[in-house]
Amino acid sequence: MGQAVDGLRQAMQEAVGSGDTRIVLNLAEVPMIDSSGIGLLVRFLASTKQLGGNIKLVQPNKFAIQTLRLVGVLNLFEVFDNDDAAVDSFA
Amino acid sequence: MSAEFSGGPEDSALSELLDRSMPADAEAVATVVDAISETLAQLEVPEQKRFEIALAVQEALANAVVHGCGNDRSKQVRCQLKSDAQGRIVIIVTDPGPGFSPDLQSDPKQGESLYDDHGRGVYLIRQLMDEVQFERSGSEIRMWKY
Repeated sequence: MGQAVDGLRQAMQEAVGSGDTRIVLNLAEVPMIDSSGIGLLVRFLASTKQLGGNIKLVQPNKFAIQTLRLVGVLNLFEVFDNDDAAVDSFA
Repeated sequence: MSAEFSGGPEDSALSELLDRSMPADAEAVATVVDAISETLAQLEVPEQKRFEIALAVQEALANAVVHGCGNDRSKQVRCQLKSDAQGRIVIIVTDPGPGFSPDLQSDPKQGESLYDDHGRGVYLIRQLMDEVQFERSGSEIRMWKY
């Protein structure tokens, strides 16, 4: 919650609003994902998929992986080791 | 990993490690979570356990700020960190709100709930902690980690 989630929400809204629905999200610098962050991710995942796009996750740390798995949403996302692989997956 | 509360020690048997009151503000949550994490690190609590406690505290404080206080900064949320003689850790988060019924929380892993943008906080707390107890009609949560 707080500024981190608000900032991500704004960035995602701007991207989707301008027609960019194929999104790569690098989580390497994210130490922890809470339920508000997860809610934001799955909401935008649903909306980008409805528009023919997707959200690909890059380098989530072990705690982020664990949290996403705990709430049953990890397998909704494709996860990559680096940005290039995630970008290429849209080709 | 999770279980409902089966009875911890009385408060008088607990040692207080941290007692913070904070305004009901999203940014204040991070400050208290950091203080809890630092205290646990000083106690040489392993990283995995520190992470699980920190995330549970984050969720409990977020619930208190949003639902217990309605994001009203003039209201206060209290967070206490204590341990018992066996080294078990309990975190108590209290808000001035009317509380809620935790039993009415739906399973966020079921069906359409997977794509809901809310409703995972209490579920996560129960998964991350060993015992969870709601008091004061739900306006106080006690979370144990062994």
